[in-house]
Amino acid sequence: MKIVVLVKQVPDSGEERTLRADDKTVDRDAATKRMNELDEHAIEEALKLAEANGGEVTLLTMGPGDATDTIRKALSMGPDKAVHVSDDALHGSCAIATSKVLAAALGKLEWDLVLCGAESTDGGVQALPHMLAERLGVGAVTGARKVTVEGATVTVERQTDEGYEVLQTEGPAIVSVWDTINEPRYPSFKLIMAAKKKPVESFALADLGVSADEVGLANATSQVLEFAPKPPRQAGVKITDEGEGGAKLVEYLASEKFV
Amino acid sequence: MDFRESEERQALREAVAALGAKYGVPYMREKTRAGEKTHELWAEAGQLGYLGVNIPTEHGGGGGGIGDLAAVCEELGAAGCPLLLMVVSPAICGSIISRYGTDDQRKRWLPPIADGSYTMVFAITEPDAGSNAHLIATTGRRDGSDWVLRGQKVFISGVDEAQSVLVVARTEDARTGKLKPALYVVPTDAPGVTYQQIEMEIASPEKQFQLFFDDVRLPADALVGDEDAGLLQLFAGLNPERIMAAAFALGIARLALDKAVDYAKTRTVFKQPIGAHQAIAHPLAQCKIELEQAKLMTQKAAWVYDSGDDMAAGEAANMAKYAAGEAAVRIVDQAVQTHGGNGLTAEYGVGGLLAAVRATRIAPVSREMILNFVAMHTLGLPKSY
Ligand SMILES: Cc1cc2nc3c(=O)[nH]c(=O)nc-3n(C[C@H](O)[C@H](O)[C@H](O)COP(=O)(O)OP(=O)(O)OC[C@H]3O[C@@H](n4cnc5c(N)ncnc54)[C@H](O)[C@@H]3O)c2cc1C
Repeated sequence: MKIVVLVKQVPDSGEERTLRADDKTVDRDAATKRMNELDEHAIEEALKLAEANGGEVTLLTMGPGDATDTIRKALSMGPDKAVHVSDDALHGSCAIATSKVLAAALGKLEWDLVLCGAESTDGGVQALPHMLAERLGVGAVTGARKVTVEGATVTVERQTDEGYEVLQTEGPAIVSVWDTINEPRYPSFKLIMAAKKKPVESFALADLGVSADEVGLANATSQVLEFAPKPPRQAGVKITDEGEGGAKLVEYLASEKFV
Repeated sequence: MDFRESEERQALREAVAALGAKYGVPYMREKTRAGEKTHELWAEAGQLGYLGVNIPTEHGGGGGGIGDLAAVCEELGAAGCPLLLMVVSPAICGSIISRYGTDDQRKRWLPPIADGSYTMVFAITEPDAGSNAHLIATTGRRDGSDWVLRGQKVFISGVDEAQSVLVVARTEDARTGKLKPALYVVPTDAPGVTYQQIEMEIASPEKQFQLFFDDVRLPADALVGDEDAGLLQLFAGLNPERIMAAAFALGIARLALDKAVDYAKTRTVFKQPIGAHQAIAHPLAQCKIELEQAKLMTQKAAWVYDSGDDMAAGEAANMAKYAAGEAAVRIVDQAVQTHGGNGLTAEYGVGGLLAAVRATRIAPVSREMILNFVAMHTLGLPKSY
């Protein structure tokens, strides 16, 4: 089984993140960059499937030159190789353009299954798997907390707020996963040492047959017009207990419709 | 010159830190309180190859150096779950056996030391031979092809968790009758081996022991290396030990400093966080500088050792161990002070580091003996001991 995992380098969601003042895109220079957390779960699932069924795991990332850090880190978990799509013209691309580029890259690779995180912590769009599926003419089953593959049949338990749904499709297919699906492995020292020697193939836009005027900030289908930092948190309400503290607490909670 | 660690070492640090975060202070506290061992962490770190990063690849290790192993030790410490026996099993015993063991000895011991399934601890200190190793009295006597070991050791860490102990002893020279150092691998369950736990004030899952050898019979291949190579072989293990002790101290220091800085940012006494007072901020800034200095010296010492220069490594490893021990003791003390009364509560877990960090100034070689060494060997001052 050949599996491609989509991996994205994002600003660390544990830190303060911001947009650039000039073009209102994510400020990547100011941020500590890391692999999108959910992608680690996608890689783990791909490795498990490849271990169980035999096969090969390839990473696919679209991102600036320094995304190689994330590629190395991802490779150190165990995938066989990586493909890095990088081009100055891609800066500021919207989700639709991104899906065009990734679909073109996937068109150059052999695969039975594409795995990815259910969302990226910087964009949070959750639409990419569907866009890719549409462009590639394959099924997308998303938001999985469990994946099983039998022959060409891909079955997932799709996590919902209330419980889960069971979805099935015939491969090749695209599956996105939540963090409930598994516990990503720690990279072993051997794999860390091996990661540097694994093949990373680079594609520019021209290699994919996508033209610069289909991508990038200037051609984005959506635009950030304005942004403002989240207002600071308001001080909470303090109730001093002078005998009737309990009653006052309930009163407050009721006034806020918590009880 | 490049002061950045290799990409691989940085990735190793990141991976170990992530593993450490899964266990951390709560795990260590629970194990210590229950009188249990850190088997789960040890096993997982071993399986991931982190305990054997310095062991050659042909013997199941990672093929890295002591610098890599020190990084693992430091990161686990900074995460609040240091593994003391890394200092002895892969660092001392692993290094000595890699360099001086026979092929059979390497094949037998290195792979399980590397993956953590086998622990070998290290015994040099004796009641009358601590700082003065020349007085080691444990003796190996030839009996046919066997050896018979007799003597006593003290402060030996982890005997209860180990399958064997690498014992520094002496053999009697057949011609001159003079004693010379020799290294034996002694199974902890060999007939004639007994041990007794020493009650320590250090709260840690790893314990220290008195160890007795009462005519312990050992096969010929228990002797590691040449009975004539003596001191050289020993230093192949003692330099890594010092570098690892430095890394161990750095780990504790980072943990303490992180806690202190967090506390200084959030604890408000007079309208603003206490970190706004220079009396709190400046000592913490000094701590950070001293930590970085000690870390640099430790990285340098590991680099010198890994480059194969044993002579220069001795000086650098001693200096690193000194710098890290001094910095760590000061940093833990300052972390306690920063926390006020909370510095001594169990909840904040800072006061509990005091005894452990204090040991880094004493073991494996005391600060005084390092100062003696530097005074005499580096500065050329008269021999004082
Ligand atoms: C937690 C812990 C774990 C340990 N684990 C191990 C282990 O696994 N294996 C092992 O073999 N050992 C172990 N040790 C022993 C440790 O290496 C010794 O305690 C250390 O080498 C000091 O020896 P000593 O205790 O005999 O002190 P002593 O040699 O009695 O020294 C006492 C004091 O006198 C000072 N002093 C002695 N001679 C001089 C001199 N010439 N000039 C100036 N000052 C001097 C020393 O610096 C020290 O301050 C451990 C010790 C501790 C505390």
